[in-house]
Amino acid sequence: MKLDRRRFLGSSVGVAATAGVTAEWVWPKHTVSYRRPRSAVAVLNAAEYSVRIEALLLDGLRLFRLPVLGRSILLKPNLVEDLPGPVNTNSALIGAAARCFLRLGAVRVVIGEGPGHQRDTELVVQAAGLKPHLAERQIEFVDLNRDELRKVKLKANYSGLGELWLPSAVLESDFVVSMPKVKTHHWAGVTLSLKNMFGVVPGMKYGWPKNLLHWSGIHESILDICATVPIHFVIADGITAMEGNGPLQGSPRQLGKIVLADDPVAADATCARLMGFDPLRVRHLSEGGHFLGNLREDRIRMLAEEVGAPTRPFSVLPEFRYLLAVKG
Amino acid sequence: MEATSLAILCLLAERPSEAPRLGKLLSDVQLADGSWPSFVGDRESSWTTALAVCALNSVNDPSKARERGESWLLRTKGREGHWFWRWKFKTADRNVQFDPDKYGWPWISGSASWVIPTAFSIIAIEQFTVCNRSEESEKRIHLGVEMLLDRACVDGGWNSGNSLVYGVPLRPHVEATAIALLALQDEQRTEMIQKSLSWLRQNAASVDSVSSLAWCILTLFVYQEPIGGLKNRLATIIGNGRDIRNNATLATAILALKCGEMIHPFEVLR
Repeated sequence: MKLDRRRFLGSSVGVAATAGVTAEWVWPKHTVSYRRPRSAVAVLNAAEYSVRIEALLLDGLRLFRLPVLGRSILLKPNLVEDLPGPVNTNSALIGAAARCFLRLGAVRVVIGEGPGHQRDTELVVQAAGLKPHLAERQIEFVDLNRDELRKVKLKANYSGLGELWLPSAVLESDFVVSMPKVKTHHWAGVTLSLKNMFGVVPGMKYGWPKNLLHWSGIHESILDICATVPIHFVIADGITAMEGNGPLQGSPRQLGKIVLADDPVAADATCARLMGFDPLRVRHLSEGGHFLGNLREDRIRMLAEEVGAPTRPFSVLPEFRYLLAVKG
Repeated sequence: MEATSLAILCLLAERPSEAPRLGKLLSDVQLADGSWPSFVGDRESSWTTALAVCALNSVNDPSKARERGESWLLRTKGREGHWFWRWKFKTADRNVQFDPDKYGWPWISGSASWVIPTAFSIIAIEQFTVCNRSEESEKRIHLGVEMLLDRACVDGGWNSGNSLVYGVPLRPHVEATAIALLALQDEQRTEMIQKSLSWLRQNAASVDSVSSLAWCILTLFVYQEPIGGLKNRLATIIGNGRDIRNNATLATAILALKCGEMIHPFEVLR
């Protein structure tokens, strides 16, 4: 049989595709799947961080009928630096969330974070204004950079890391709530509930910043971490968000939304849409949509407000213009 | 190991006669390659090797542990120490601006050079080789100092090690600035060092977190700045110390409160 160039190329592509599918079948990239037939999202309108947030949040959380009675909750906010501006998840929202979970029957709420650059976690907690919210007896803060650690085999293999030492406070929690600040990110495109989980990786072992995760691939590390530490719920702070050169030096962007979701991929996809981005163009979201949760709008049930396109998309660095959703 | 090394430095001040036992605590958990891990139970080498060598320097440990630790430090470099990554950072990856020819020490192997591990490694090697410095040690100290100066923030001070990202200057951190200045104690007071010292002095007056304030005191003392008021403020913040849940922070605070009453653990004595 004569093999012309076109047939040869066609056969090569076919062989490569078959090899890829076989490799994925023999060595699957992930050993877990948290994707359900449908996920639920609620977008709440909140113009400012006021005392009314707690009541609003409680009403929003009640829409989900969360299984938190008698359970220990870990709130994982995004506390990065002692900087002004919308860098950190707002403390009023963190405090409100902690009190809401207690009111819903949780026995204990741990607020845990391991800032990625600033070694002095106390300074970040002070600057974020979190201290007054820790006065309640059943609410405590744990520095995830310096907690007791356990070595854990990762449940996905995108980064090649294989295993990570992770904090006991995270591994022992019954219910993990990721509380990101809605921001653009100069390495990952966006930082939302999935990227927020970088903060569970302990600085005591991996340093400040957790540079190994960057060398192993940011998107790949996000997928591996979130496969290993499943996020049960998301409360995203999009009241005052950040656009441009985030996550530290961007500009404030008044979005006026709190996004609640029982699925981190659905939460991040919704936030991305609110930012004017196409979630399929965020690499860890498009891949996470295969096993961490639901990305497609037809698999997301909106419990409160529908997601409309923003009047003006979030500004991005030139390198991330590809994230912008095509109009129409 | 960070907490253990700092705690040994504190205990040494209280009970100098315990020095051999404290030294043995560290040498018992040294890894086969001469390094120390981040914590007991881990098998991977880490930046805490520099702190452990500093502690053994204070203990004046007679065993070979210090020598092996210093030898590991001399062999270890940030990832940009490899020609391929240096080439990549010079040509393709310019979003974070720095000179990759000037490298120091990483937190763990496989990561780039960062300010705090580099600063402690410089101090550890300088202390250990103060009486007899090899050319190799001198070269690494020099390269580490160059790296610190290259990574300084635009208006002075240091953060974890990124001064300019996408052309925008990043802000310094108190703790990283204090520790970097400790490592530069023997250097000529260039404009950058003066600016950084001035930034630290200014921020020390308002910082209220235990760790950052303690490192300010330890550094400003070495630079012969007044620290009495800062020590009083630190003592007030700490109270009886019960609220400090991190032993590394507690030990740093004790060292800061004893500053001036004991041999400074991070001073390079000549």
